[in-house]
Amino acid sequence: MGEKQNLLSLEDVCIGYETPTGTVRAVVNATLSLSAGDTLGIVGESGSGKSTLAHGILRLLPKTAVVTGRMMFQDVDLLRCDAKTLKDLRWKDIAVVFQKSMNSLSPVHKVGEQIVDIYRVHVPQATKEEVYDRMRHLLSVVNLPDRVLDLYPHQLSGGMLQRISISLSLIHQPKLVIFDEATTALDVVTQGQVLSEIRRLQSEMHVTSILITHDVSVVAETCRRVAVMYAGHLMEVGPVDQVLVSPRHPYTQGLLASFPSLSGARRRLRGIPGTLPDLKAEPKGCVFAPRCPKAFDRCHESMPPAVDTGTGCTVKCHLEGSER
Amino acid sequence: MGRYLGKRSLTGLLTVIVVLVLNFFLIHLAPGDPITILAGMDNPSQELIDITKAKYGLDKPIYVQLWTYIKTLLKGDLGHSIIQARPVSQLIMERLGNTLLLTLTSAVLALVIGTALGIAASRKPGSALDNVLSLIAYVLYSMPGFWLGLMLILLFSSTLRLFPTSGMVDARASYTGIAYVLDVLKHMVLPVGTLTLIGIPGYFRITKASLAQVLKDDYNTLFLAAGMDEKKIFRKYCFRNAILPTITTFGMRLAYVIAGSATVEIVFAWPGMGRLVMSAINTRDYPLLMGVYLVTSVSVAVWMILVDIFYAIADPRIRYS
Repeated sequence: MGEKQNLLSLEDVCIGYETPTGTVRAVVNATLSLSAGDTLGIVGESGSGKSTLAHGILRLLPKTAVVTGRMMFQDVDLLRCDAKTLKDLRWKDIAVVFQKSMNSLSPVHKVGEQIVDIYRVHVPQATKEEVYDRMRHLLSVVNLPDRVLDLYPHQLSGGMLQRISISLSLIHQPKLVIFDEATTALDVVTQGQVLSEIRRLQSEMHVTSILITHDVSVVAETCRRVAVMYAGHLMEVGPVDQVLVSPRHPYTQGLLASFPSLSGARRRLRGIPGTLPDLKAEPKGCVFAPRCPKAFDRCHESMPPAVDTGTGCTVKCHLEGSER
Repeated sequence: MGRYLGKRSLTGLLTVIVVLVLNFFLIHLAPGDPITILAGMDNPSQELIDITKAKYGLDKPIYVQLWTYIKTLLKGDLGHSIIQARPVSQLIMERLGNTLLLTLTSAVLALVIGTALGIAASRKPGSALDNVLSLIAYVLYSMPGFWLGLMLILLFSSTLRLFPTSGMVDARASYTGIAYVLDVLKHMVLPVGTLTLIGIPGYFRITKASLAQVLKDDYNTLFLAAGMDEKKIFRKYCFRNAILPTITTFGMRLAYVIAGSATVEIVFAWPGMGRLVMSAINTRDYPLLMGVYLVTSVSVAVWMILVDIFYAIADPRIRYS
């Protein structure tokens, strides 16, 4: 697994939002790598920093955000490259499917017109017909008729717009697609359809993807690897069949216990007592310690480092490598 | 769309009729009447008053008067001014051009300048430019037109002697051709300037507020993520989305341009509709007042329909069925 060329690698990425009352630490020391063809899910509760991390990769954060660390996309340092390099990279190499697809197109312009404009960013001389031809193919992949191009966004349903967003993200055959809560706003039936279309893209078109969601089941269905995020920290990163089957981190365990399982015996959903900590305060110990059922003295003193468990997982927990 | 237009035209017509009837009663029920004014203050003879009243039909019950008025209207006749003893339509036509010269010019100028400044201020919210423009807009917004007009006269006419104080043409010179046009232009500067200045803040604030909203829309992030130039996103997408409320405001303003601006016309002694209305009110010139109000209400009714149509063209989410 590690032998493959890394497409994206994050090293000690920290993202903070400057506010008048202090810095909100949205992402802390995130280290992560993604090889070509891989599919990574990032899960966590609302406000855990998943979307910030995704937007940080494309440098789409507001000016109040301060990003440190290293973000390498192939051999380009995303944090330090110039505007031209970044502009060339956007959509051509890294594309995004945003959460609110209903609003992610202008309401007073036709869908096709906007897509043509987006295509022409990288292929300025492209004719409308060329773009439509390309879109026709991509729309068929997500089971949409090409007449949607001549409609306005308000004439389409949320699920259709989400599918358009997905096919739009593939228009330049990007190396990496980030699905930022791409199915969150959809009903379960539509979500299921869209997820199966995403899965098809991954297997047939070999799209490397990052899927950001708060829904563990979405990750279980579509991803090979998963990163569990809590209060800006990547608590546990590893293959889905390990992290979601035998989670090592108490937070992952709690998160999994919060979701009902369709198979097996019915059991009480546990949930995790407490709420996310104040991200402005510098925590003394582990960020999860106040809510952790297994916390012990050391947990309240220092944040555990990321430990490689030797099974392809990294876990930020004092229980790892100590008295387990 | 056709059915919608038909329906809107019908309601527009009904509105005009209701306004006409209401106006008729209001004007006639108001204290004072044109005959008393015609007869003069000193020693009016009752006989003269009775004869004049009968001549204009004012001795009849008010509903009969209304019926007579509507009948003449249906013949395409706005009636005769009692005080000025001339056809109302002639009086209105004389003033209409003068007023449009003033109000239309300033309405367009205020739209263009106000919107441009609003865009400029929105590009960098909280910047020095934004703060200065917002302050100026605030001051202008709270300034009465007649007072601003007087100040402009004091500064540019009395002190700097750049422009004439009042009127539309130099009465002592009888210019023709280009000289006449230049003379009118010179007379226009201050009144148009006044109306433009007090019109700017509305467009400035609407543009600013609308853009502040639109710049936060999610499609901005998508286009940015797609590598699109920020300028292109702004020019093509934000602008079109932000301009919608401005269309409504400008359309409503256009509906009233033919009514003129009484206070500013009075300050600058501009021979326009506003002053015509003021004198008609003061002399209780019933037919003239009715005529001006009718023309205004028709203009408002027509413009509201036009605004709706234009709005539907600008915003595809609005479709009438």
